Amino acid sequence: MAAITFDGVTKIFAGKPAVDSLSLHIDDGEFMVLVGPSGCGKTTALRMLAGLEEITTGRLLIGDQVVNNVLPKDRDVAMVFQNYALYPHMSVAQNMGFALKIRGESKDVIRSKVSDAAEILRLTDYLDRRPRALSGGQRQRVAMGRAIVRSPQAFLMDEPLSNLDAKLRVEMRLEIARIQRLLGVATLYVTHDQVEAMTMGDRVAVMRDGQLQQVARPQDLYDRPANDFVAGFIGSPPMNLLRAGVARDGDVTLSIAGQSVTLPERLASPYHLANGEVTFGIRPEDIVVGATGLRARVERCEALGAETLVHLSLNAKGASQHLVAKAGPRTTIVAGDDLAVTFALEHAHFFDVTSGATLRVGS
Amino acid sequence: MKTRRSVSPGRIALFVTMLAIAVAMLYPFWVMITDSLHTQSQFISGSGFSLGSWRQLSAALPVGRQVLNSTLICTVSIFVILAVGLPAGFAFAKLRFRASSLVFLGVVSAMMVPLQAIVMPEFVNITRIGLTSGYFGAVLVYAALGTPFSIFLFTTYFRGVPDELVEAGIVDGLGYVGALWRLVVPIAVPAIATVTVLQFIQIWDDLLVGLLFIQNTADRPITVGLAALASGRTTSIPQLMAGSFVSALPAMLVYLGFQRYLVKGLTMGIDR
Amino acid sequence: MKARRLTLSQRRQLAGVVFALPALALVIGLIGVPIGQAVYYSFTQWDGITTTWIGPSTWSQAFHNSDLWTALKNNAALLIWVPVALGLPLAIAVLLHQRVAGWKIFRSIYFLPTAISWVVLGLVAERFFAYQGTLNSIIHAIGLSGVTTNMLGNESTALSALGITFVFTMIGTNTMLFLTGLATLDPSLEEAARIDGAGRWRIFRHITLPHLSRFIQLAFVMTVIALFSALFSLIFVMTGGGPGYATTTMEFLIYQTGFSQGQFGTAALYGLILFAITGVVGIVQLRLIGSDL
Ligand SMILES: Nc1ncnc2c1ncn2[C@@H]1O[C@H](COP(=O)(O)OP(=O)(O)OP(=O)(O)O)[C@@H](O)[C@H]1O
Ligand SMILES: [Mg+2]
Repeated sequence: MAAITFDGVTKIFAGKPAVDSLSLHIDDGEFMVLVGPSGCGKTTALRMLAGLEEITTGRLLIGDQVVNNVLPKDRDVAMVFQNYALYPHMSVAQNMGFALKIRGESKDVIRSKVSDAAEILRLTDYLDRRPRALSGGQRQRVAMGRAIVRSPQAFLMDEPLSNLDAKLRVEMRLEIARIQRLLGVATLYVTHDQVEAMTMGDRVAVMRDGQLQQVARPQDLYDRPANDFVAGFIGSPPMNLLRAGVARDGDVTLSIAGQSVTLPERLASPYHLANGEVTFGIRPEDIVVGATGLRARVERCEALGAETLVHLSLNAKGASQHLVAKAGPRTTIVAGDDLAVTFALEHAHFFDVTSGATLRVGS
Repeated sequence: MKTRRSVSPGRIALFVTMLAIAVAMLYPFWVMITDSLHTQSQFISGSGFSLGSWRQLSAALPVGRQVLNSTLICTVSIFVILAVGLPAGFAFAKLRFRASSLVFLGVVSAMMVPLQAIVMPEFVNITRIGLTSGYFGAVLVYAALGTPFSIFLFTTYFRGVPDELVEAGIVDGLGYVGALWRLVVPIAVPAIATVTVLQFIQIWDDLLVGLLFIQNTADRPITVGLAALASGRTTSIPQLMAGSFVSALPAMLVYLGFQRYLVKGLTMGIDR
Repeated sequence: MKARRLTLSQRRQLAGVVFALPALALVIGLIGVPIGQAVYYSFTQWDGITTTWIGPSTWSQAFHNSDLWTALKNNAALLIWVPVALGLPLAIAVLLHQRVAGWKIFRSIYFLPTAISWVVLGLVAERFFAYQGTLNSIIHAIGLSGVTTNMLGNESTALSALGITFVFTMIGTNTMLFLTGLATLDPSLEEAARIDGAGRWRIFRHITLPHLSRFIQLAFVMTVIALFSALFSLIFVMTGGGPGYATTTMEFLIYQTGFSQGQFGTAALYGLILFAITGVVGIVQLRLIGSDL
């Protein structure tokens, strides 16, 4: 078992960087989730760590050994592929024991390790089957089993749950997190499902266009996004990002869609707010719908059962801004209503208009 | 789709047609068997049956020895074809090196070279290295002629195997050789069967290579033996047919045994 | 350890080259090099031992040789059997595809002659066309007792006898190819057409045939190449190229020129001409395969 370090790792495909100077440290035993939109370089990062893809520049370390040119078989990492890549001509038991067999472990050792893993994964009844005769969820567990029997230096998992139905996904989410904790192996887990990211990871790394945006514990990522991209990516529905004018005079006056909001000095002080424009961020749950505040018109309501999403437009002469708020499950709000909203400003975020970086002091 | 088997007149006509075709296709076997059941004089006079030609067959034609020769030549040639074709197919499909697709194209185009086009230099080369005594000259030529097609088939097949499967094996600790032997080859059984059958039939049935590249009479394969017997002046036709029948048996058995794979293998070559 | 310095992709490429090398050596050594040699020897007078450089005049001389033209003419004449060698198997495949009772057994029977050596098929064909052979028995049986054929012994008919035998030998392979093609045809297409009210012929013409076009193209190329380069065994046992030069095709001419007359240089030259012909056909085939690359 070992820590993993990406040190300025870059991968260039046909002149374009797929991963751009990635620096990321994963502690021994840590569960690191890598998220980002499709094509942002997550799989590429994982494959470089597995040794399936050449590193263009930078250093990659497992423990304190630089592994850039170490063959995959000498890296001792286990990978769970997105489509599982089970060996079709082998039984479940053979699939799981294959790496051990290659390593030359004795039959008894293999059998006992495989049956332990099968126990953990509840695959004991299926050990003699071929992958073809398994359900998606069972295959997924075999793929996991293939990884865990090895007690490797690190687990690499590439969207292992993306092919499963919603219920199974919830189950397996908990299961994988449990097993990882049990084994204490450093894990890099790729997903673009942010629920997985928030619930499974010790820390979450957010990538965009090959560049690392932020690494933080899930709650910190949610509460203190480093830029507007992370703010918009984490959270569902995403944070509202509105263009706001800033007029500073002790307290700060924000003008949003032609209407003003006063930000008390106390709440403004954690941010570098100068006169001019900022991106103002507020999460849907931090918007209170009531009788006073900014005037808004209801465009659409989406009842999700436990809550209702209210799509609003903040309207003024010419300028119109779109906003999503959350309301209770049995709200009486309907499309076309005119109402007023107030913001829980202690949870507001401010980002630079051009760079998108947070304006929080000390970031 | 389940076809309804109603006994309509059209259906019956169809069946009769197919029966007629079957008779035509079985004609060679009928000729071989009936003609062989005469002595030469019975054959000329057109009456009487006898097993005499079968009893004297081995005197006229060392059938056992020649079938054994054919078998050996086939087996070794196919072994060479598989031994060089499988790694090459794997390399072209999964280990893409610089210019590999160009090289692949070159190899595949060698499929179009007929042996007759190169037979003169080939013959002289093989004779010069002294490989025309024994089987090895012929084995080399058969292997070289069969390799391009096998590479084509294997490469196509391996391209259909997901990269992740090989990569999973590599992450599990396999080297490239291990990935080939322990993952790719077991999965490629239908392709291997296809190559084996097609090459077996091709080599078993060939005349020219055996005729030219095997100089010792004792090492002759059965086709050469039959052709030589046929071109003799006083050939007994019943004996010739008996020998022909014996020579056809092994290829037929291989064929019937592997027919299932053959259709599959050909499909994957062209229908993608 | 020197390998340590190589990057991962260099090692993969190295493995690729090493894996491909034995096959390449075999193909280059036994196919590539001889082609080069053939080109060289085609400009020489060569008996297999001594070589005398002549130059391009060997080529112009060769084209003045009537044997070459006879052989080319024979090859061309045999081409008329190609449509038959495609049409019959196509019909048989369609029949098999109707899946009447026992169609699997019929399929095996139809393919069975494929496993017989062409040497043997040639011998059988000789029996069929011979003076006391089956053909004459059939003719007499249907009442034409005055007519007796001797197709192989007659200059005007020997080539046709060869062509018929060739068609017979190709039936198994081509039927299998077409049957494979039919098996990959989505049955729901035919059903949809039937529901739309299309008759059998229209379905065949507008759905089945277009679907088979790739298979037909491939069978065409394979058949033509076989016609130019696989008749040797048949000719060797059936006619020996005769009577006269009536059944001497290019490949048989090469064999005779080289091994009966000892003119290795001329035979190599003829080989190149044959290669040029199959090469043209081959390029067509590469196009077909090329679309898959
Ligand atoms: N072998 C390759 N050759 C060229 N470009 C590639 C290759 N592999 C990936 N890329 C490119 O690199 C970028 C990152 O790809 P990657 O597969 O890492 O994305 P990802 O984050 O895993 O996306 P997804 O969530 O859709 O799986 C993409 O733009 C992709 O097109
Ligand atoms: Mg990916």
